[in-house]
Amino acid sequence: MVYEVFARKNRGEPLRHIGNLNAPDDDLARVYAYNTYDEEKWFDMWVVPRDRLLEVFNRGDGEPSAPEARKDAQRGAAAATSGA
Amino acid sequence: MSTVETVLPAAVRNGVRDLVLVLADSKRLLGMRYAEWMLGAPELEASIACSSMAQDEWGHARLLYALLRDFGEDVQHVEHGREAEDYCNMEALDRAPESWPGLVALNALVDTALTTQLHALRDSSYAPLRQRVGKLLEEERFHGAHAAAWIKRLARSGPQARAAMAAALQELLPGVLRWFGPDSPRTSLAAAAVVDAEGDALRARFIERVRPLFEEVGLTAVVPAPDFNGFDEARRRCTRTGPDAETLVRVRGDKNRAFLMD
Repeated sequence: MVYEVFARKNRGEPLRHIGNLNAPDDDLARVYAYNTYDEEKWFDMWVVPRDRLLEVFNRGDGEPSAPEARKDAQRGAAAATSGA
Repeated sequence: MSTVETVLPAAVRNGVRDLVLVLADSKRLLGMRYAEWMLGAPELEASIACSSMAQDEWGHARLLYALLRDFGEDVQHVEHGREAEDYCNMEALDRAPESWPGLVALNALVDTALTTQLHALRDSSYAPLRQRVGKLLEEERFHGAHAAAWIKRLARSGPQARAAMAAALQELLPGVLRWFGPDSPRTSLAAAAVVDAEGDALRARFIERVRPLFEEVGLTAVVPAPDFNGFDEARRRCTRTGPDAETLVRVRGDKNRAFLMD
């Protein structure tokens, strides 16, 4: 499962998307996020499964705001179609 | 007069030096065991975790070895010139684990035992260690989480993986429990407030930390009473030997001897 990783440098700042990782469950996702992205001194760090990110809207046309998420969704749809 | 002579009563000076060396050697070896899985762990993220934990342990070892200078030790010799039987690492680290569950068991038991020992130094009367131990413990936070998450994963991924994990934990437990030493050590560091617990009290803290891991693989951690027959309190080992030949060459950096600089 792909998890997206967010962090911020200082209290009160907005969360920044800093990367993603593969993990089989939430516990390992936390550990891996720390191991992979803690080279910098963050105030806090968060992970969320990519499929739990909900698109509100997307003004891009063919330029999705979350390209990887969109690509995954398309791949999933293509697989479902070809399987039918 | 060295700093150590001014802060530590003569009766416990050797005991503190022994403890520092036991911790330093164990962390140096544990770092090496983690590093051996930087390639070949079950997934890329686990390799990164091993690399990160190796860096932490080596950093801690470095810092601990440096403290030995205050005890009049030649740190260069300690790090690069000793024979196997001079090493004071935990016996479980003498040879490389053969499987990933074996490495996870080291992560779960050896790493946690070292951290339990460090915790006991948080309010130490030995200031140089007290001042550094907070940072070390902070860096250890995710080592235990890594072990716990992997044990849970292996326990739930099928009977074979669960059995292998259980066997690896059971194999290491008796030696790690003994490592905390007898309840009435010859030199009591607790009496001099160097540590806030030793012997059975420290063992009990350790057991509390690892009990859930044993339960995860279906073991109701029956805790064997340690057998201290032949136990060397200074090295915290029963066997007189040390790391195996291959480990020794690597941990001393024999192949890099020509490049050593002060």
